[in-house]
Amino acid sequence: MSADGTSSSDRRRFLKSAGVASASLPLLIASQGGAAATGEAPRPAVAQSSTADTAGYQILSLDEAAFTEALVDHMWPKDELSPSGSELGIATFIDRQLAGAFGQGDRLYSQGPFRKGKPQHGYQLPLTPAEYFKAGTAAASAACARRFHRGFDKLTAAEREQFLHDVAGGKVADAPLDLAAWFNGLVYPLFERGAFADPIYGGNRDKAAWRMIGYPGLPATYSQDVVRYRGKPHPRSANPQSILDLS
Amino acid sequence: MATTLKEREVVIVGGGLSAGLLARRLVPLGRDVLVLERGAPRNGSEMQLPSQRDDLRWSILRGLNQRENVETYTLRHAPGEDALPMRQLISFLPGFGVGGGAAHWNGLTWRFQTTDYVLRSHLESRYGKGALPADMTVQDWGVTYDELEPYYTQFEKLFGISGKAGNVRGEKRDGGNPFEPWRAEDYPLPPLETPEAGLIFKAAAKKLGYKPFPLPAANASRAYTNPDGMKLAACQYCGHCERFVCEAQAKASPNILLFPLVVGKPNFELRTHAEVFHLNYDRAAKRVTGVTYIDALTGEEFIQPASVVVLGSYVLSNTRLMLLSGIGEPYDPRTGKGTVGKNYCYQTVSGVGAFFEDRYINPFMASGSLGMVIDEFNNDHFDHAGLGFFGGAYIAAAVTNGRPIATRALPPGTPRWGLAWKAANAKWYLRSFGILAHGTSYSHRNNHLDLDPDYRDAYGRPLARITFDFPENDVKMSAHVTQKAHDLAKATGATIVSPAAPRRGPYDTRLYQTTHNTGGTIMGVDRATSVVSTRLQSWDAQNLFVSGASVFPQNSGYNPTGPVAALALRLGDDLASYLERPRVL
Repeated sequence: MSADGTSSSDRRRFLKSAGVASASLPLLIASQGGAAATGEAPRPAVAQSSTADTAGYQILSLDEAAFTEALVDHMWPKDELSPSGSELGIATFIDRQLAGAFGQGDRLYSQGPFRKGKPQHGYQLPLTPAEYFKAGTAAASAACARRFHRGFDKLTAAEREQFLHDVAGGKVADAPLDLAAWFNGLVYPLFERGAFADPIYGGNRDKAAWRMIGYPGLPATYSQDVVRYRGKPHPRSANPQSILDLS
Repeated sequence: MATTLKEREVVIVGGGLSAGLLARRLVPLGRDVLVLERGAPRNGSEMQLPSQRDDLRWSILRGLNQRENVETYTLRHAPGEDALPMRQLISFLPGFGVGGGAAHWNGLTWRFQTTDYVLRSHLESRYGKGALPADMTVQDWGVTYDELEPYYTQFEKLFGISGKAGNVRGEKRDGGNPFEPWRAEDYPLPPLETPEAGLIFKAAAKKLGYKPFPLPAANASRAYTNPDGMKLAACQYCGHCERFVCEAQAKASPNILLFPLVVGKPNFELRTHAEVFHLNYDRAAKRVTGVTYIDALTGEEFIQPASVVVLGSYVLSNTRLMLLSGIGEPYDPRTGKGTVGKNYCYQTVSGVGAFFEDRYINPFMASGSLGMVIDEFNNDHFDHAGLGFFGGAYIAAAVTNGRPIATRALPPGTPRWGLAWKAANAKWYLRSFGILAHGTSYSHRNNHLDLDPDYRDAYGRPLARITFDFPENDVKMSAHVTQKAHDLAKATGATIVSPAAPRRGPYDTRLYQTTHNTGGTIMGVDRATSVVSTRLQSWDAQNLFVSGASVFPQNSGYNPTGPVAALALRLGDDLASYLERPRVL
């Protein structure tokens, strides 16, 4: 993190893709209730830029971005199978999701009374997913600082691993909210979506996650292949196609 | 101030499968039919390439489904507990828009069986009157399989069902379901191709002495023209069926097979964006006079008078509209009295994962109802004496999709992130499949629907409150059948088999299970124990009929669309007659 608050990786990406800097990104936040009232089909859940390689963050603060990048890099480490989580765009995906309709709680039932239910009742807080993500990030960062005297992004891999296990397993009790519910109910699903959703949403850059597992993507018309490649590797598993490729 | 519109002959609430089948029957007779659908037409990016294949948008973020901010449900696991709203609807997915759930369904198309319709009589006669637990409120339907058989046959032809018959007019056929009740004809289309997972499952099932057969599918195995001249294209095995509209026109739906027959006729109207608030009920006359709805495009409220009203909306909406309209006596679990909301059931689903080091399963080449299944452990196909439960499940290798956000099975013990997790995804995504146990859900005295006292929808009306948990009977059933599924997975020779994880309570709203909610406006022979008669006519309003799985007294081990359609087709015949001469049928 530099003095002006931008991380070096951010600046690199900014310079690399000067034409699509954050200022030029449309911040599309779906109007709450608009879609509900008209019954129209929902729009794509995030803004779509002209390229998947978008730099900058729409809604995450610098601290939140640093936390999120460190988190997704730890959960999706770089190896011979694929680049790191932030290089894959998972942090970008999370940012765009939180800034967009999902994060603004466009279809979340948000009427009271609010009660603490059983875990099986699912999410029961009055916060939007974006607010919840931010509150949880602050709480996790504070707990991390108390324990390690450093931010999550400054921890060693072993420390990150231990801390995340404790968060996910409900062992970080000194937090103003239930960090296990936050991580398992919001962060982890966003992480999985960011890795494996279509690249138009900002994650899964270059379809690297699809290629890693062998998912061929689109257009998925297999009326002949279902027999031809039954029990055999499908040739497009190594070369998946995305919505952009077919647009 | 609501505007009163001109009276219409038949008003159907909900533009889904029931409305499509009824309109198809009544409009050619010259009957005036108006369908009120709360959502929009289905003609946009949900059915165009490449946007149709957007897993995040349609499946994960549930783009085709009822929006919770407008209407959701509250849940408590037992009477006396506080109910909380499902702020995100995840465990089941009510449809929204023309076609309803039958636009985004898988396509699994079963017939409920002979004993399903006479469940209480059958179990009492086989196991003795005292054998059923006192709190198991299963009932007979008041209709028999033989009465419904022609309607099942008709529906299978209309929807071009692909499958392999096991019993054509009493003649048993190899390769079909040996437990199938008689059917007048074979399926109109041959089964879909068997995927690798199906071949593996089939071999294992045969090794154990079972009789596997292909899943019956509304995903057309080849191009098809139905008796109405309506066409289905051949399935592309694209793996975007459930939670999606089929862009290839290969998955049967009211949108492509039923509504086009009547749209444009002068005596038919499909009014979208029409959210029905309640039915207007004349208690003294025991008749409904019409419905009140809001036009979501203008915000105007209308009273739509009608000679006949059919509730053909989602299970929970049918029941809620009865309650909001004050028709019938709400069910009270303390006394067992009252009927509206009674016998709410679900589906008891569990699964086992099988992982193969040396086999390519290629789960992305899939269809909503693709794979092989056995029926040995479903319903009462095995002797339940001494087992301590009734019911069962079909056990299937159903390869419905390989959409990677959610369909990436990993062996037990795999870490949830990191290098080993990545490697496990890379290793097993192409090389695993799940074995599903799709089980019965038997009614329980506690499980019911009513109106929530605290929570309201976006229009200010009380939400439906679900009181539900898996009854002890169904938990025991699930333990039994999940072990059978596990044994079968072991017999495949899989490198790794995940441990049997039977369904248990508390019912978890965070996990998708099925959208096979049933009950609430159940049918029967006695008005003291049912909401509608065996002809689906309300006991409390002669000109009100109810269609959908809300009339099931309990749920079978099969997917519910087949019997919903068979009953709707029969209701079409009944309404044709009723409109000639209105009476208690």
